[in-house]
Amino acid sequence: MTSNGTRWALLGVAAASAVGVGRAVARRRRRHQPERQDGWYVVRRGVTVDRPRDAVIGFWTDRERLDRALAEWATLEQLDDRRWRCVSRDPGGGDSGWRAEITVDGPGTLRWRVEDGPVPQEGRVELTEASQGRGTEIRAELRYRSGRLRRVVGLAGGHEPDLALRDALRRVKSLIECGQVIDTRRDPSGRSPAQEKATDRMREKLMTGGRA
Amino acid sequence: MRALCWEGVGKLAVRDVPEPRIRAEGDILVRVRASSVCGSDLHLINGYLPAMREGDILGHEFTGEVVETGPGVRRHQVGDRVVVGSVVACGGCWYCRTEQYSLCDNSNPQPVFTEKLWGHSPAGILGYSHAAGGYAGSHAEYIRVPFGDVGAFGVPDGVPDDSVVFASDAMPTGWMAADFCGLTGGEVVAVWGAGGVGQMAARSAQLLGAERVIMIDRFPDRLATAADRVGVETINYAETDVLEALRELTAGRGPDACIEAVGMESHDVGPTYAYDRVKQSARLQTDRPTSVRQAIMACRKGGTVSIVGVYAGLIDKFPLGAAMNKALVLRMGQMHAQRYIPMLLDRIAAGEIDPGYLATHPLPLEQGARGYELFEKKQDGCLRSVLHP
Repeated sequence: MTSNGTRWALLGVAAASAVGVGRAVARRRRRHQPERQDGWYVVRRGVTVDRPRDAVIGFWTDRERLDRALAEWATLEQLDDRRWRCVSRDPGGGDSGWRAEITVDGPGTLRWRVEDGPVPQEGRVELTEASQGRGTEIRAELRYRSGRLRRVVGLAGGHEPDLALRDALRRVKSLIECGQVIDTRRDPSGRSPAQEKATDRMREKLMTGGRA
Repeated sequence: MRALCWEGVGKLAVRDVPEPRIRAEGDILVRVRASSVCGSDLHLINGYLPAMREGDILGHEFTGEVVETGPGVRRHQVGDRVVVGSVVACGGCWYCRTEQYSLCDNSNPQPVFTEKLWGHSPAGILGYSHAAGGYAGSHAEYIRVPFGDVGAFGVPDGVPDDSVVFASDAMPTGWMAADFCGLTGGEVVAVWGAGGVGQMAARSAQLLGAERVIMIDRFPDRLATAADRVGVETINYAETDVLEALRELTAGRGPDACIEAVGMESHDVGPTYAYDRVKQSARLQTDRPTSVRQAIMACRKGGTVSIVGVYAGLIDKFPLGAAMNKALVLRMGQMHAQRYIPMLLDRIAAGEIDPGYLATHPLPLEQGARGYELFEKKQDGCLRSVLHP
């Protein structure tokens, strides 16, 4: 009788623990998954730039500054007064680049759509004033299509639209606030070329994504 | 050029490395004339902040001469003597504009490590591992200083390199520690750690109005130097119960403010310390918080605990109950170099602070590893080794 009771009690505890752990894992997974809508992944990211909204818009409309800022990673071509074509450069010199069309919908609002790239994606950016005179919030919503496996592989390899968006927001903030995106990759070191290459791979990981 | 590189846990060597080049409009290139070792380097060398890569150049506290400027640099010219804050700040973000330079948003190009570890990424620091941006350090013949107009400051004539070098880090850190204490005049301040930063904190506290400063360490020579140069009272924790002694010295009140200038490898005597060492060695905690615990326990009710010793991650047995129930103010942070350096240079020039005595061991760069050994083991009365490339 006692041993039967003990067995049931143990079974009950085990079952409760399994359900609890399972729920915790599922909850954690859900919290860390981007939202899904009609087969699209949807992520929203924001960054605060310490400049008034007009100054942030001014940055986009100052062609010379923008070209200089984008030089390393993309070219911009104006199609008409509302539409632009952006062609990214692959920093590695390969052909993993993409082409996007950007449409300006109004002051502080724009949309983009990747026409030719590894992952179908589109998004929109809105600028709003931050409270306490803290500048401007750049809020972006990105929608992209990707399979579960492809997304996991992309995250591991650092090629994933969400990571790219966070990088882009951080770069934009830095360019507007201090005119450059700081880079320490070619700083001197006592490393051999092979060690330097391994270190650069680690640097890429530490540079990619983040909170934005 | 020659540079002192990290070669693995506990290993340093001088190597031939490429010379740095101007890479952005605001960069300046500095020929290093004096570069000091710092207690916080020891955490990196000993692998407690696991973000070093073999070949990284160490050093972040230095002075030198400008040899080249980027096209956007306005405040400096080739030939100027400068002292450079170890914290890199862009000058354009909200934190920089509100003089919280060590929290700069844009100066750490590799923010993911610290964002995961701390929730947000603070500023980059020169020569301070890949967690702080992966910048090459100053234990080298030349160094690239980004945002030169923000981070470098002209040195007043007649101030020697081995003195002004400490305006780069030890002095602003000490000053900020005292500044945190909110002194209004007449306070009793206790300082844990009689190294360069602790001694500068003690002097700063005096200049900001403290009536008495009590310094805690275990090395009689360091305590004697502090007593002699700064005029502090001293407690040797290896011989005396610190909490008891501080209560006695303040007639039961406890110090009005407690400054912790020790950091994550602090020492003590007794079983709790042995326990902390074991846990840290097993990486069950990253930091040993011995002196922070003492500071919180010693501080008077409603007083301030100011932490400028470097901590990296997690600690064990933090007396939050004492801090909460005594209504303590806890303030801490990496120093905002650019906020304090100009004022400190004025004070050096006026003779109010003379940090030159900290440079007990000027050495050529080639003896960098020896310099760190003297410093870490506190041999030969070493307060700071200062390397001269």
